[in-house]
Amino acid sequence: MTSRRNRPHIARPSVALGGAVLLLGLAACSPTGSAASDQQNYETWNEVVAAADGQTVKLWMYGGDEQGNAYVNDVLVPAAAELGVTLEQVPIADTPDALNRILSEVQAGETDGEVDLVWVNGNNFGTGKEAGAWECGWTDLLPNMALTDRADPLLLNDFGTPVDGCEAPWHKAQFTFVYNSDTVTDVPASLDELLDWARANPGRFTYPAPPDFTGSVFVREVLYSVSGGYENVPLAFSQDDFDALTPALYDELTDLEPSLWRGGETYPQDSNELNQLFADGEVDFTMTYGPATLTELVANGTYPAGTKVLALNEGTVGNASFLGLASTSGSKAGAMVVANLALSAEQQAAKAEPGVWGQFTVLSFDQLSDEQRALFEALPESPVVPSYDVLSKNANPELAAAWVSPIDESWRQLVLAQ
Amino acid sequence: MPGARTPGSRRWASLALVAPAVAIAAFVVVGGIGMSVVQSVGLLPLVGEAAFSLDAYVANGDELLTGTALSLGIATASTVLSCLIGLTAAIVITQGRRTGRIVAAISALTIPIPHLIGAAAVGLLLSDAGILPRILGIPGTEWPDFVGGSWWIAVIFEYTWKESAFVALVVAAVLSSRVARYDETAALLGASRARRLRHIVIPLARPAVIVSAIIIFVYTFGSYEVAWLLGRPYPEPLPVLAFRLFDSISLTSRPEAAAVAVITTMISLVVVALGMALLRRTPLWR
Repeated sequence: MTSRRNRPHIARPSVALGGAVLLLGLAACSPTGSAASDQQNYETWNEVVAAADGQTVKLWMYGGDEQGNAYVNDVLVPAAAELGVTLEQVPIADTPDALNRILSEVQAGETDGEVDLVWVNGNNFGTGKEAGAWECGWTDLLPNMALTDRADPLLLNDFGTPVDGCEAPWHKAQFTFVYNSDTVTDVPASLDELLDWARANPGRFTYPAPPDFTGSVFVREVLYSVSGGYENVPLAFSQDDFDALTPALYDELTDLEPSLWRGGETYPQDSNELNQLFADGEVDFTMTYGPATLTELVANGTYPAGTKVLALNEGTVGNASFLGLASTSGSKAGAMVVANLALSAEQQAAKAEPGVWGQFTVLSFDQLSDEQRALFEALPESPVVPSYDVLSKNANPELAAAWVSPIDESWRQLVLAQ
Repeated sequence: MPGARTPGSRRWASLALVAPAVAIAAFVVVGGIGMSVVQSVGLLPLVGEAAFSLDAYVANGDELLTGTALSLGIATASTVLSCLIGLTAAIVITQGRRTGRIVAAISALTIPIPHLIGAAAVGLLLSDAGILPRILGIPGTEWPDFVGGSWWIAVIFEYTWKESAFVALVVAAVLSSRVARYDETAALLGASRARRLRHIVIPLARPAVIVSAIIIFVYTFGSYEVAWLLGRPYPEPLPVLAFRLFDSISLTSRPEAAAVAVITTMISLVVVALGMALLRRTPLWR
């Protein structure tokens, strides 16, 4: 969801983009070593593994999430090194930074670009695919793809864009509302009730201004709500549907505006700003794609002790985020090795540990061996956050990426600018 | 004779010395602005056919107008305040007393702090969850919205703080080299402090103030990070608008971002031209 600026909408708020990758080596990176270009077509996984040895892969990913950075640098990088691949994380502010870089390299005809892997989904993926930013059809080579459910709709379509082997799954995310149970006593059970609560408690609720991706998905959740459920909003974009469905959305949000924080005169610029307001007790709700981080935020006192996850009857939006392989990468074999490693049960379980990163796995438990499943069953339970099964109950699908920009743009014109 | 040079060869030598700087400036100015102009008229699209069009200039008409007005307002307020405060500080510095040295030291300390750090510090200090309201015990909801408010006070405050120090040092340097002799002479001839300020100090400082004002105006007009960190989502100053469009995921918005950048550049060039015209009219400009 979110489109633009953001991180892949993934779980943590912060997470954004994805990264690119790794391989190239540091030290000698590009000009020397094995750099050069990597344009061959691999037929078998063994060829990939052989070619990857000694490559350096740069993983471009949203760098504003300390746990994500720590997982990549402390867990994934050493594991890649054992496979002979030098993985480097390139922390970026927003996923479009990586996409813009690839697009510039595509324009310049670069074949050994700076970007190898990108943590990506949604609009960034869809737009990049349209512009030839991604290498496609490579994920079938990855042995660990067998651990996923091949029919899982979240992994087949990324915000309505067919994945087509252009990116390998990495995490799943569930959009989640969070509230302070010390101050919110009449807990809303639906989005409609949440908006009524906001009207009854002026100044205690707000949402980040789209195109921030968290704000952007909130607006789409409201679209589902005012349309009577996600079933009534066609996932594929059409101007007719947009014209028919969105007036109710903007009427609702305009009507809500005077009841928001600072009287709706302005909005938080991004989800971090909203989280800050929640942490300071200025508002009673926040929202995130990364509920797994809540446990830590409550434990260290950033968030109030009464912080709880809000369960909505109609469910919330869920999605997956991926590792995209740049078409301009000069270390494609190394990037594939890293993507495969990131899909292994060991890495997925380590990443799911709340103290490590708390990202939900993309693997299907039906496909795992008993040993592999035990890794996930050993994960600790959180006092704040329910399990993914509970969170993702009644999960709503993401609208196609083509919806996102028109909705965000009209929100700026019809709600923000009024 | 060895060592003797004709004026002609000296001119060539000085040209050779500035050539590297000129080459770099030309590369950036011609290359950067040229690319922006080419992109903004649709000749360098990410996808599709290149075709000349001015669509990018009209696509965000309303936002361009409000953004231009807002940027002009922020830059004007910051420039005027910086020059007034900086000039006052420079006069205090050149008095040469203890206070003068303290003001000079504070100004010198302010200069190396990057604007990004300055903006973050101002945000921590002045926002409604900031240090100041906490020290004063004022709840965030009752604290005036300096940060993210409709008057952009925190943004102007940050620019004024940093840039007035810049004005103070530049003007003080000019004044200290020229003002003392005239000032003493006038004092011996019986001129009062007010008359000396009006007839000696301010005229001597004027060229340096004008040059500083041009630099500050153009800088604050085109600066992104302070306005983004301490501002609000709407309306957007031109640099914030340009970056949002550039960063937008829609492939058509890059020409629009380039169009905003081109307009920002043109307004800056007009301001520089006006400032230089004003400078030429000051009697002391040689």
